[in-house]
Amino acid sequence: MGIINRALRNISRRKIRASLVIIALGFAMAIMISIPAGVMANQQSANSLADNLSSTITQTGQSINQTLSQIDLSMAVEFSGFGFARPNSTIPAGFNGGPPNGGGSGGNDFIMDPSQFGGGMGGGFFGGGTFGGGQASPMNETLYADINSTISGISAVEPILQASEGSNQTVSFMGRSFTRPITEYTIEGIPLTSDLIDNYNILPANITAGRNLQAGDTGVVVLSENNSAYFNAGVGDTISILDQEFTVIGIHGTTSTSDLLTLYMNLSDAQTVTNNAGYITSIRVFTASSDVVSEVATTISSMHSELTVTTGEQRLSQLESLQSMYTTALESAQASVSSTQTVAFQEIVVVVAATSLIVLFVMLYTVRERTKEIGTLKAIGFSNATVMGQFMLEGIFLSVIAGVVGIAIGVVAAPTLSSLLLPSVSGSLFQGVGSIARTVTSTGAVSISLELILIAFGAALLLGALGSLYPAWRAAKIRPAEAMKYE
Amino acid sequence: MGSSGSGKTTLLNVIGCIDKASTGQVLLDGIDVSKMPENQLYKIRRDKMGFIFQTFNLLPYLNARENVELPMEGKIKSKADRKKRASELLTIVGLSGRENHRPQRLSAGEQQRVAIARALANDPAIILADEPTGNLDTKNKHEIIKVLAHLNLTRGTTIIMVTHDNQAANHTERMLLLKDGRIVKEKEGLHLAKKNHKCPHCGSSIALKDDMCPSCKMPLYASEEIFSS
Repeated sequence: MGIINRALRNISRRKIRASLVIIALGFAMAIMISIPAGVMANQQSANSLADNLSSTITQTGQSINQTLSQIDLSMAVEFSGFGFARPNSTIPAGFNGGPPNGGGSGGNDFIMDPSQFGGGMGGGFFGGGTFGGGQASPMNETLYADINSTISGISAVEPILQASEGSNQTVSFMGRSFTRPITEYTIEGIPLTSDLIDNYNILPANITAGRNLQAGDTGVVVLSENNSAYFNAGVGDTISILDQEFTVIGIHGTTSTSDLLTLYMNLSDAQTVTNNAGYITSIRVFTASSDVVSEVATTISSMHSELTVTTGEQRLSQLESLQSMYTTALESAQASVSSTQTVAFQEIVVVVAATSLIVLFVMLYTVRERTKEIGTLKAIGFSNATVMGQFMLEGIFLSVIAGVVGIAIGVVAAPTLSSLLLPSVSGSLFQGVGSIARTVTSTGAVSISLELILIAFGAALLLGALGSLYPAWRAAKIRPAEAMKYE
Repeated sequence: MGSSGSGKTTLLNVIGCIDKASTGQVLLDGIDVSKMPENQLYKIRRDKMGFIFQTFNLLPYLNARENVELPMEGKIKSKADRKKRASELLTIVGLSGRENHRPQRLSAGEQQRVAIARALANDPAIILADEPTGNLDTKNKHEIIKVLAHLNLTRGTTIIMVTHDNQAANHTERMLLLKDGRIVKEKEGLHLAKKNHKCPHCGSSIALKDDMCPSCKMPLYASEEIFSS
């Protein structure tokens, strides 16, 4: 019958009280382990956010440099909507284009996706969609062959054909029907010449499965993950695009909303499959250096007044403001983590104090209640140390049991508890970056590690000892003569 | 004996080393224990004293045997030895077979007998009893007095008892009357006569269990006030 056994039996003596205390302490312990778990998760998500942001900042910087030597050419058209007319050609037979202002004739319309203009450049969120502006019309490739051959300062020209496949959806609103186009996928044809592939950034970035396009590839296609789901096809499968068979050779991971639905293929394949032989939708001009960009742009404008000429410089300020936005977001993520840590520290101090106080009061009450018993123990020959040890043990057991309960609660409820108690990192970021944050936020999962459980267990032990120190000392100081008193 | 506030319990506490004398000294085996620090006193209480309380003071969450084992904890290392000795002591006080009962399942008399067994745990020189029969009915009172008298006769244990009960007091060898903290009267008890197996009234031979003298028929317990003054 050692003191350990006695301490345990004393706890089980007052079952309801012990249970209540254990539940109260358990919750305190659960909070204690949920907070660090939450902080760690926040830190993790902030770190990955920071990683994402800093790589985005680097990317943006690269884009800025690249952009400075690039010029994008396209044909601006006055009408809006989908379906397109060809200003300098007749519409090829079989092309199911709608009237200029109309809603298409339903079914599989071949439509322009305005947001795709300029897409692929830079590979970031700042693809054409954000600031490309305007609409593009198909242009006869041969009409613009002179750009590459006659203007000096141009090192390469990349003709691109972009076309979107979609359907019209009829929506009812306040008793009226509207038709709106829904894009299902966008075909982007890239000229697969080894010169362009080797020297310029024209291929989709971030291949997640299979391989990228190569010079001379034909009859093959690189899908986005969305495309892959839409066609229900993976690497090696054959899919049918506009009644023509293509083999899927790779999947590209989406880096922005603008290439979410884009599948890449050889330009000539794209022209064939969309029945647009000899037509393109935009031309990207690579100049020898950024110094000659404005000169080249002026020359092109004077040669082809119908073209919209967009130089990198015009995009520069937008890229730069984006970059500074990311930098601000990064800073705010870091600030938010440090403020989370401050809050977490304060909360842990409160919880630790509360836990010790609960143990202190319960044990003080127990000691008072059992004055006579303690007096008796001392009268029959117990030393102060033994009495003190017994009450310390009681307090420690109480909080260790509570610790186990707390860990159990914590394992289940840590995500809820930490989200209740801690400011969220991602929340504050959303305000800063708006919709862009969606692509860079990664939510860290709140999980309780074994290490944390062990620390919590140690804390329970320590707090139990701390809280019962004074009551146990009081117990040891009780005079043995108390045993003689009536109750 | 003595009226309330006469200092009976205080005297008992001072002798038992659970209270300090404000003046004077307490000699135990020739050593003054009144100035001893607590870290030595507890050993004296454990090894030389046994306490019996009016309210029994058993630990409710321990069974009879575990209660008896309590004082042995610091002295007897082996768990098995403690268990064996506790069972033996419970047999001496007539509780064999009830070792595993908790106090609430024992009668008042049985509880006090467990307390006596506990007091005997470390074979003390002195048993200090504070009104040991105060909470008992006549039958149980008689039993307890018999157990204590038996201990004195068979084991030679000195028993110092505070009591209000004449019958219990008469069973002692020596009775002291306290008043305002002083011994005001002293009287010889019947226990001495019984020890000598001689009737205090006629001198004929008597047995310990006798309530009255077999030859002169005089009661061996005085029913009137012992210290009537």
